[in-house]
Amino acid sequence: MASMGANVAGSYLGFVLQSAFAGKDKRQQKLKTTHSRVARKVRDELLSLRGPAMKLGQTLSLQTGILPEETLNELATLQMQAPGMHPSLVRVQVKTALGKPPEEIFETFSPEPFAAASLGQVHTATIRGGKRVAVKIQYPGIRETIENDFKWFRAISKPAQASGHIPKEAIDEMEQQIIAETDYEQEADNIDFFRKTLSKLSFVEVPSVFREYSSDKVLTMSFVRGGHLGQFLASRPSQKVRNQLGTNLFDLYYFQLLKLGAFHADPHWGNYLFNDDCTIGLVDFGCAKKLSATSLRYLKGVYLYPGSRHSAEFRRLLEANYENQGKKLPRAAYRALVDFSEEYRKVYPPEKDKQFVFDFSEKAFLTNYIRHATNLFRTKHVMTDYIFMARAEMGLYNTLHALKARVPTSDIVRKYL
Amino acid sequence: MATRVKKVTKAHKPGKRAQSKQAIRDRIVKAALTLFQTKGFDTTTTKAIARKAGIAEGTVFNYFRTKEDIALFFFEEEVDHAIAAVRDNSRLRKAPLEEKLFTLIHSQLEFLAPYERFIGAALLHALNPASHLGAFSHRAQQLRHRYLAFVAELIEDSSPKSKKDSLSWLVPEAFWIYYLGVLLFWLYDTSKDKQHTLAFLDRSLNVGVSFLRAGRR
Repeated sequence: MASMGANVAGSYLGFVLQSAFAGKDKRQQKLKTTHSRVARKVRDELLSLRGPAMKLGQTLSLQTGILPEETLNELATLQMQAPGMHPSLVRVQVKTALGKPPEEIFETFSPEPFAAASLGQVHTATIRGGKRVAVKIQYPGIRETIENDFKWFRAISKPAQASGHIPKEAIDEMEQQIIAETDYEQEADNIDFFRKTLSKLSFVEVPSVFREYSSDKVLTMSFVRGGHLGQFLASRPSQKVRNQLGTNLFDLYYFQLLKLGAFHADPHWGNYLFNDDCTIGLVDFGCAKKLSATSLRYLKGVYLYPGSRHSAEFRRLLEANYENQGKKLPRAAYRALVDFSEEYRKVYPPEKDKQFVFDFSEKAFLTNYIRHATNLFRTKHVMTDYIFMARAEMGLYNTLHALKARVPTSDIVRKYL
Repeated sequence: MATRVKKVTKAHKPGKRAQSKQAIRDRIVKAALTLFQTKGFDTTTTKAIARKAGIAEGTVFNYFRTKEDIALFFFEEEVDHAIAAVRDNSRLRKAPLEEKLFTLIHSQLEFLAPYERFIGAALLHALNPASHLGAFSHRAQQLRHRYLAFVAELIEDSSPKSKKDSLSWLVPEAFWIYYLGVLLFWLYDTSKDKQHTLAFLDRSLNVGVSFLRAGRR
């Protein structure tokens, strides 16, 4: 990690020195190459570290608007690839988890992974009867790596914690969630929960778990069809298909948030699979977030709030939410929340209008959203629940932006209020 | 001195006599290791081993002169087992060096796992210059050479022949120290299913082999 810091600093230092002698155009060009080179280095380092550092990279890669485009392109590749475990290590991990090596458990087992997750990798296999399955296998010692990385992160973020920019609770919440992702038994329970509850949405496919082929470190699931966002977009889907898919994705998110009060909180692009018939496959349920009843009631109150967001009533709604969690709403947080929801109003107008669709192809919305979210975080009084919601929302908006989808936002939200 | 029966191959089947000799020897080794593990290496006597194996003490001496010889025989089997695990796996032929070395060491650890307590004691014994089991005894040296020759063979197979340098001999020596380090790590690893050792083995081999490659570029 230190060497990465030195490498990155070295690259930018090199750019500053070179650009002192270059013209403006050339300088722009050079800056772009520097971004790419740095991004590649960062990506390679994060890849080699696996685990939470890779997770951090994935989270960063969703932050369109903050990082340069070139950096995003490199970080985007993080979402699907990592240096895998070699077949011998995979064999040992399966044998340790399930008592027998893969060739004795499965009818066929591909020794090479077809996808990498941040905390493990996924292999294709067939079980008796020839059913094709996906087997997710955890890297050894990943839990301890996470704990160590967080120790390191806590240490280097001490100044930011002292100033309140990164609240201690936020780090605790992140660590708890990521640690939870290493428990595949918990993930199997999450899959069962979402499979049952999301069955109401006909356009969503959730895998089923094969418990007899699973443990806390190996998770065997049915295969979910579909291509990743990049593959899907490469097939040049029509505007109509993109709109429908965007609408389904949006519906899926708000159904989870407002109807179930629990959501798939790891929305990076690798976890969604898209199909031409506008169906969506969901994979990776390690990070599921459940909301408390009071949080849910609060969300239902503020979404599509009809009156003025500067009104005393709206203020009371916000205050009540803070009081419920034993906190007082500070002035700065109040202002930031009002600004934030004013921005939301553009995307989710409360007035009933059957014709209204929001066009996610416009970039201004994304940058404004990030600006307001950043302001909110800067007040240092963000509810911990919101950290994961923001992560999920950013993932959703980024995907909708990439799809250039037009979505009847308010109509969908209204269904679930 | 222990007599080693030639490895059983399909082409050369041992006779009935040799088979029963092998069975008795296996019984002695199994009884001895169980006692080393449960009662401790130092406190175990050849008499106790004979009783556990259900044979006369004199018979034990027909096969092994001392209990150290039994232990050494076990370590020879461990090395044979690990070398065979790499050699007999046809898929590994094209695998990268780090995977071959991983399989080698992991097969050793797997072999040693049921007798972990005894391995800890044996490591201490190995430091005693007078012990047969010691790193300085002739037979232990031979075993180490055989093991490291195999490691050197794996390394040579994976690097271009023309790129050998004057320090090539050092690599297996460094590997031996590394192996002892892994063994110590494994002995003190209290994590579930020794997952820490696996992670350490995987990552350190990746780093080590990349150093080796960088040095030979």
